[in-house]
Amino acid sequence: MGVPVLGLLGILEAGRGIPAPLSVSGDWTLALDPAALCAHGPDGLRQPALNISQSGTQALITLNDGHATTLQATIAGATLTARWLTASIVGKPGARTLEGRMSFDGCAPVAFRAVRQAAKWRGE
Amino acid sequence: MPNLFHLVLQIAVILVAARVVGFLFQKIRQPQVMGEMVAGILLGPSLLGWLAPGVFAALFPAATLGYLNALSQVGLVVFMFVVGLALDPSELHGYGHAAVLTSHVSIVAPFCLGGVTALYLYPRLSDDAVTFTGFALFMGAAMSITAFPVLARILTERGLLRTRMGTMAIACAAVDDVTGWCILAYIVVLVRVTHAARPAWVTMAGSLAYVLVMLFVVRRILPAFERQFRKRDRLSDNLIAVIVVLVLASALATEWLGIHLLFGAFLMGAIMPKTPEFTHYLLHKFESVTVVLLLPLFFAFTGLRTRIGVGGGGAIWWYSAIVIVVAITGKLGGSMFAARLAGTPWREAASLGILMNTRGLMELVILNIGLDIGVISPAMFSIMVLMALVTTFMTTPLLEWVYPTRLFKAPVDEIHKNVA
Repeated sequence: MGVPVLGLLGILEAGRGIPAPLSVSGDWTLALDPAALCAHGPDGLRQPALNISQSGTQALITLNDGHATTLQATIAGATLTARWLTASIVGKPGARTLEGRMSFDGCAPVAFRAVRQAAKWRGE
Repeated sequence: MPNLFHLVLQIAVILVAARVVGFLFQKIRQPQVMGEMVAGILLGPSLLGWLAPGVFAALFPAATLGYLNALSQVGLVVFMFVVGLALDPSELHGYGHAAVLTSHVSIVAPFCLGGVTALYLYPRLSDDAVTFTGFALFMGAAMSITAFPVLARILTERGLLRTRMGTMAIACAAVDDVTGWCILAYIVVLVRVTHAARPAWVTMAGSLAYVLVMLFVVRRILPAFERQFRKRDRLSDNLIAVIVVLVLASALATEWLGIHLLFGAFLMGAIMPKTPEFTHYLLHKFESVTVVLLLPLFFAFTGLRTRIGVGGGGAIWWYSAIVIVVAITGKLGGSMFAARLAGTPWREAASLGILMNTRGLMELVILNIGLDIGVISPAMFSIMVLMALVTTFMTTPLLEWVYPTRLFKAPVDEIHKNVA
């Protein structure tokens, strides 16, 4: 039993240095200036406005707009990119925020900030 | 009452799908439960949601799934009690070196290979909210599980249960089950403690106290039920209700401690008196409603969370292939070589490996826990569900090929002189 246990400890030690994509999964409350949104922007958004389901560098964003509109997103480093959304991922996993811009077709980009709901972010 | 309407409709559709697909799978000599698991996947986004998104959205609106989840969780609590109830520690004695070595290697080999696989998959399918330690240990535990109930069912359906190889497989699977659940309990505590407000020592000390109370207090009270059963050859409804309450109380205790509902239910079943008549009576009482009604709901809920081939591109199939190969190599290969090393003939050693590779619904239970506590991502969950289906599906045909029915004539009595 000693050899497998030592091997497992070696694996765990080796894995500690491996970086993983930044976590964005969970529910997010969104703060943006509604006056800045034009007619083509999402309407009827309720808080938490975003739900993000993440698997590694791939994510699925679901809007809480009554239609459960979804969009695919990718995470590269500290940047989250989707079709009309680009955001920087800021802070540690327990206190993470998204800061960026939403660019709807035919609208001027709108700055936004989103805060992850702490109680929901890891199945607690 | 739109939600009640949806719930009843969902249950009806799930039951019909489970019975029909289960029947079809029996026709190709697969266990009924295999078909029920596949039915759950077919009702989810992997097939129904992909082929008919409108029907899928109308049948399973997101807002109604909480009720389905709650029902399936209650079903799992009862099912885990049944699994613990069917587990007889006396089966672990008397199988000698071969069973001990095989059961240990069948845990250690896939566990270590799961850890190595985690080195590759962690940066690709996890995120920084999960520690590598938690991810790797979970992968190891998920790779090393054997589906004790499905295994027993396959052995029974093929008439292998009372053969030398069948009894040894049951003994090894029982050891694997207990060890696997202990490892998983540790992982759940490890992951939850990282994020929980409760200090780790409360969980640790509480868990120890809980186990001691169950083993040395509750276990001594339980034979009273058996005595009542012997008097009347049955238990009154009130006594059955008391047993249910004890199961729920045990489940609540482990949930409160931060382990999981299911561990408490399993332990309550495991410490119940094990005389065959009493166990059979309770299994009969609890099994039918659980197996026919509640487990299909769990399979469907699992299917609703599974997105095989949806998103992630071709890489997901590559990761799936790696996980399946590693799972089979570790479990089937590890068990087979350990049994052979202990002197079991090649054919029986290979059959034992094939049987131990059956992951079935126990794997689905563990994966759902992993997804709930956030230690695996949705894509990793789907990959592991696919692995569970493949490893379970391959058991029957592979077993028939390696160990045809005509060959298993050695009675169980020979076991001691052959493998001890």
